[in-house]
Amino acid sequence: MMAQIVTTLIFLASLWLIFSEKLNRTITGLFGAVLMVGLGKWLHFYDETQAVVAIDFNTLGLLLGMMILVALLEPTGFFQFLAVWAGRFSRGRPVVLLVLLGTVTTVVSMFLDNVTTVVLIAPVTILICEILGVNPTPYLMAEALLSDTGGVSTLVGDPPNVLIASAAGFSFNDFLTHALPIVLVAWLVALLLLRYLFRRELAVRPSNADVVLKLNPRESLEDPKTARKVLIVLGGAILLFFLEEPLDLSPAFVALSAAAVALIGVRPSIKDVLRRIEWDVLVFFGALFVMVGGLEAAGVLSAMVALLDGLRAIPPVLLGLILLWFSAGLSAFVDNVPITIALIPVLQGLGTHGVNVQPLWWALAFGAGFGGNGTIIGSTANIVVASLSERTRTPITSTLWNRSGLPVMLATCLVASVLYILAYPLFSR
Amino acid sequence: MIKDCMKRNVFSIPSTATIRQAAALVVERHIGLLPVVDKQGKPVGIVGLADLLSLELPDFFKLLPDFDFVHDFGAVETTRPSPEEIDRPVTTLVQPVIFVEETCGLLRAYALMVKHNIHDLPVVSEDGTLVGIASRVDIGAAILSTWKTVTPSNP
Repeated sequence: MMAQIVTTLIFLASLWLIFSEKLNRTITGLFGAVLMVGLGKWLHFYDETQAVVAIDFNTLGLLLGMMILVALLEPTGFFQFLAVWAGRFSRGRPVVLLVLLGTVTTVVSMFLDNVTTVVLIAPVTILICEILGVNPTPYLMAEALLSDTGGVSTLVGDPPNVLIASAAGFSFNDFLTHALPIVLVAWLVALLLLRYLFRRELAVRPSNADVVLKLNPRESLEDPKTARKVLIVLGGAILLFFLEEPLDLSPAFVALSAAAVALIGVRPSIKDVLRRIEWDVLVFFGALFVMVGGLEAAGVLSAMVALLDGLRAIPPVLLGLILLWFSAGLSAFVDNVPITIALIPVLQGLGTHGVNVQPLWWALAFGAGFGGNGTIIGSTANIVVASLSERTRTPITSTLWNRSGLPVMLATCLVASVLYILAYPLFSR
Repeated sequence: MIKDCMKRNVFSIPSTATIRQAAALVVERHIGLLPVVDKQGKPVGIVGLADLLSLELPDFFKLLPDFDFVHDFGAVETTRPSPEEIDRPVTTLVQPVIFVEETCGLLRAYALMVKHNIHDLPVVSEDGTLVGIASRVDIGAAILSTWKTVTPSNP
C-alpha cells in the first residue's frame, strides 16, 4: 500500500511539473525515474533490473534511427528544395501555394520528424510570401496544422503513435488500415476549412506572381548527392515498415538498419550527426518508461483498474469518444507525449480487466494528435511557426491562432468521432 | 592626440528625433554614422547606416542561412517600411556608443576601434559634450605620419 501511494505521488508530481512547465521535462523525468528506482529498492518492490526491462527499447530505437536519418538529410537542403519547388510550381497562385506547401509538409512529416520539417520549410515559406508581397500567416498556419493532422496517419508520424504502437502492439500497416483513412478525411476537411477561414487573404492574386518562376530549386539543394543517398535509404526503410509482419522485423530494427546503412553511404562527421539528435527526447522517453514500470511493479495499475471499474458500465463506443475528446482537450494545452504516457497505463489496466481496449488506443491516437491544433502552444510545430513569425512583420498571435486553429481542431475531432462511430467494428479488431 | 586629427564639423541628432529624421540627415549629409545626443550635447548612442537599413531588409534575410536561389527579390524591392516603423523614436534603433575624450592617444583610439569593430569614433570634451568624430582613416593616417620621424635603417 505504501509503495502504491509513494509511486503514485512521484508520478503525479512529475506530470504536474511537466504540464506546468515549472521544470524541464527531461530533468523532471530523470529525477522522477531515479526516485522511483531508489524508493523501489528501499521498499523492495522495484530494482535496477526491472527498471531496465521497463524501458521500451523498440520505441527508443525507432526514434533514434529516424532522428539519424533526419540529421543526415537536414544539411543537404532537401527540405528547402521542396518548399522552393512548391513555390515555383504554384506560379504564385495563393490557393495552389497553400495546398502545395501544406501537402509537402504533411507528406514529409508523415515519415520524418514534423518539427524539423516545419523548422526548415517555414523560413522558405516566409521568403516566398515576401517576394510575392503577401501575408505569410495562412501558409505558416496551414503547414503547422496540416502536418500535425497528417502525422497521426502513420506509426512514425507522431511520437504518441510510436508509444501507442509499442504499448498496443500495432504494426506500421495497422496504422495505414485504421488511422490513415480517417486522417485523410480529417486532413481534407482541415484544408477546406483553412481555405474558407483565410478566404480573404487567398483571394488576392499577387500582381508579380511570376517572380516565383525565378526561384531556382536546384540551387537551394546544397548537397544533392547525400540527399539522394539518404532518400533511397529512407524509401527502403518505409518499404520494410510495410513488410515488418511477414519478415518479422521490429520497427526499431528497420529504423536503426536504415540509419546504419545511410551512415555507411554518407560517411559524415559522426559528431556533427549526433549533435543533431534530440537526446533530451530520448532520455525523457526512457525516464518515463522507468516511472511507468515503477507504477506497475508497485501494483498501482491493478489498483487503479479497480477504481475505474465504473468505466466498464459505459458503452464501449461512448468510452472511446470520451477518451478521444478528453485527450484532445488536454493535448490542446500541453504536449501530447506526457498525456499519452499517462494514459497508456490506464488503458493497459483496463485491458487486463477484460475491457476491449483496441478501439480505445485508436481514440487516444486521434485525440492526442488532433487536439494539438487547438492552441498556439498545443504542439511543438505550432510553437515553432509562431516564434518564427514573431521575427517577421506579421506575427501570429494567440488570438489569431484560436480563430483558425481551434475550428480546425474541433472539425478534425468531429470528423474523427463520426468516422470512429461508423467504423467502430473495424477498430475493435 | 585625437583632437589633432578629428573632424570638428560633426553632425548629430537629438535623442528626441524620429528614425525618419535620422535617415533624412544621413541622406542630406551623406554620412554613415550619426551620434545621438541628449539635451546637454552628450552622446547617448549612435545610429548607423546599417541600423537604418535593417528596416529595409526582408524578414527571410534573418531566417535563412543563404538565399542564392532567389534571383529576384520581387515585392521586397519595392516594399518600404511602414510609417509607424519610421516614425518611431530614433532611440529604438540606437546602439551603445563607444567614445573617447579629445586627449585620448591615437593608438588607444585605433585599438578601441579594432576591438569593437567600429569605423568612426565620436570624441567628447572634458565635460562630456560631443566635439568631433574621427574615422579609421583620420586616426590611421595620423599614426602613420609619425613614421617619417623614424630614422631609416640604411642611411
